[in-house]
Amino acid sequence: MKTQAMQRLAASSPKPHDAGRAARAWLAAYLASVVAVTFVHQPVWLAAALAAAVAAAGPARWGLLRRTVLAVLAFNLAVSAGYAVIAWWQGRYSGQYLLMINLRVVLLVFLGFWFISRVNVLRALGFSRTLAFVATLAVGQIGTFTRIIRDFRLAFVSRNPVRASLMSRGRHAAAQAGHLLDKSVYGAADTAMAMRSRGCFDD
Amino acid sequence: MHIPDGFLSPQTYLPAYGVAAAAWLWAAKGLRQRLDEQTVPKLAAMTALAYGLGLIMVPIPGGTSGHALGIAMLALLFGARLAFLSYSLVLLLQSLLFGAGGITALPINALAMGLVGAWSAAAAFRALRGVNETLAVVAAAWLSVMMSGLAVALVLGVQPLVAHGADGTPLFFPFGFSIVLPAVLLPHALIGVGEALLTLFVWRFARKRNWCPA
Repeated sequence: MKTQAMQRLAASSPKPHDAGRAARAWLAAYLASVVAVTFVHQPVWLAAALAAAVAAAGPARWGLLRRTVLAVLAFNLAVSAGYAVIAWWQGRYSGQYLLMINLRVVLLVFLGFWFISRVNVLRALGFSRTLAFVATLAVGQIGTFTRIIRDFRLAFVSRNPVRASLMSRGRHAAAQAGHLLDKSVYGAADTAMAMRSRGCFDD
Repeated sequence: MHIPDGFLSPQTYLPAYGVAAAAWLWAAKGLRQRLDEQTVPKLAAMTALAYGLGLIMVPIPGGTSGHALGIAMLALLFGARLAFLSYSLVLLLQSLLFGAGGITALPINALAMGLVGAWSAAAAFRALRGVNETLAVVAAAWLSVMMSGLAVALVLGVQPLVAHGADGTPLFFPFGFSIVLPAVLLPHALIGVGEALLTLFVWRFARKRNWCPA
């Protein structure tokens, strides 16, 4: 999922100004939709909005819906089950509430996934040059750090045929964190020089 | 600890955006005056670091593990302001790029984990450093997790009071303080132990490298 997001960010467009305007319009529409959804408390309207969003999402709709359900499953299941037990015990159970909260969460998360599947978010953040700068640099580094952590984890698993002790796992976590800190400090200096050599700070 | 979208009422997240905006301006104030070739890459690197630290699994006594928050580590090594800004950017990128967390929950998550966590870590460290440095680092990390958890729990617990229907049915997060406080704080007391150990290891590593602590 994260790799796909990175690839979308790297994709170029022939008209960057138009693409930037479109991305900012999508961002504004997304934010307005999210706020509007939180003012709706009728399950029937939330269900209608979810159906409309799914229908409008095009061919990617089922993949997005699957991602959405997987993303919210654990938290919503815990809250819903906890609510059902406690409210039933207290004699205040409301099926309408359960339907409403789950529909709202699914709709909001679906809108988020739909938005990021359609829009180059770094372009959408282009209203602030500094924010776009920092976000672009950070996203590049995040990709590197994600790979490092995965490599560390796989190496640790391969070195420990049985479950490692608490102290070993603590040392391993500390080694990962120390490596990331090192890489951040030196990476910042490298990036500064690279940006300077390309004239990023000249104007 | 992240609150997802859909569980916070507009009565909560809209004012929270106002408070968070003021806090972001305050935190960026020093940086904006010197946004040059050093600070922009450094802020980006710290943002990526905060994201990376969140991917590290912290061992918890009992055989399980949770993920590191890393905010105490950032606050002790780079200062509360930079830690708060970096963590906020991580939350923004997580919600906009990867669909994790939520855009309505962003200000609460940023204030709870980024600001309260960083502040409490820095304050505990300053208060206890004169007594014993190891104790100060451990207390700072543990307290940052607990205070962040407390802030999140308080915001969640207030939802049934500020947003409910005419018959008293909640409209957003359904549980009050009596349920949400122990549900959030008890597991985080254990997560905090793992976070404290990790922070101590990294603190000692950083001292060996002669990094300038905040």
